[in-house]
Amino acid sequence: MTREEVLDDLRRKFKDDIIEVFDKSPKRVYVEIKPDSIVQVASYIFKDLKARFNTASGVDLRYHMEILYHFLIEDINLLISLRVKLQKQKLEIDSISPIFEGSSWIEREIHEILGINFKGHKDLRKLLLPDDWPEGVYPLRRDYKEWDKNVIRDRGV
Amino acid sequence: MSIKLKALLKSPWVFHLSTGSCNNCDIEILDCLTPRFDIERFGMLLVGSIKHADVLLITGSGNRKSMERAKRLYEQIPKPCLVVAVGECALSRGMFVHSYNCPVPIDKVIPVDVYIPGCPPKPEAIIAGVVKLIEKVRKSTEKK
Repeated sequence: MTREEVLDDLRRKFKDDIIEVFDKSPKRVYVEIKPDSIVQVASYIFKDLKARFNTASGVDLRYHMEILYHFLIEDINLLISLRVKLQKQKLEIDSISPIFEGSSWIEREIHEILGINFKGHKDLRKLLLPDDWPEGVYPLRRDYKEWDKNVIRDRGV
Repeated sequence: MSIKLKALLKSPWVFHLSTGSCNNCDIEILDCLTPRFDIERFGMLLVGSIKHADVLLITGSGNRKSMERAKRLYEQIPKPCLVVAVGECALSRGMFVHSYNCPVPIDKVIPVDVYIPGCPPKPEAIIAGVVKLIEKVRKSTEKK
């Protein structure tokens, strides 16, 4: 399948799920989809289009939070980034770790650092933060405040 | 104490600990061992276990998880020992000074004898720092 065929196929198959397709460059395309349809779009790209799941990245923006799932189709060298916008009042999305195991660690990391709840993830323990990190404090959110009383913020030596 | 320190100076064995550095300081430390700089001419040797070491060499900014391990390693090193901090991150946490995961600088957790600044320090700077440390300890033992 060529690049245009892949994009047409996605547009046709997920008419109702895709909000916007942003064609950035020959190697890169951003597809914004509805949060509810992430599982079916991701499994179609992974299983039928034979893409490789690179990683996911979570961003805290001013009015919403955003997760980008990056898929690479190696035959045509096309990087598809699925963009999902989440409202800050309802930070929930279906987990894609039942489809492919490789996404389970990055979902754990986004969960502990941005506080997004992945429904259906089997094991949402902490991945990188220490065990004595307080519950409900998410360090990469925009409204993060220093919680530890013992920190030293001067340069020292 | 002083005779132990004096014996240590002849051939200080070094244990290299990275507390979450970007690996650039670690590469420069490995450079010191190459034939070009050849730090073994001062009797220094990298060892694999903290229990064989005389010098604890620390790189990296010291995050919450790794400083627990560093504390545990410092308890295991045979005393008297020397601690060398290499690189800007180990000195003052560098660009990570306001990071949520780097609460205190390393020298507030472990007593540090020599600070070698630089991002990363050149192998010459590391050798100069270690030679200064040896001189300092030698002088302090001679007085006593």
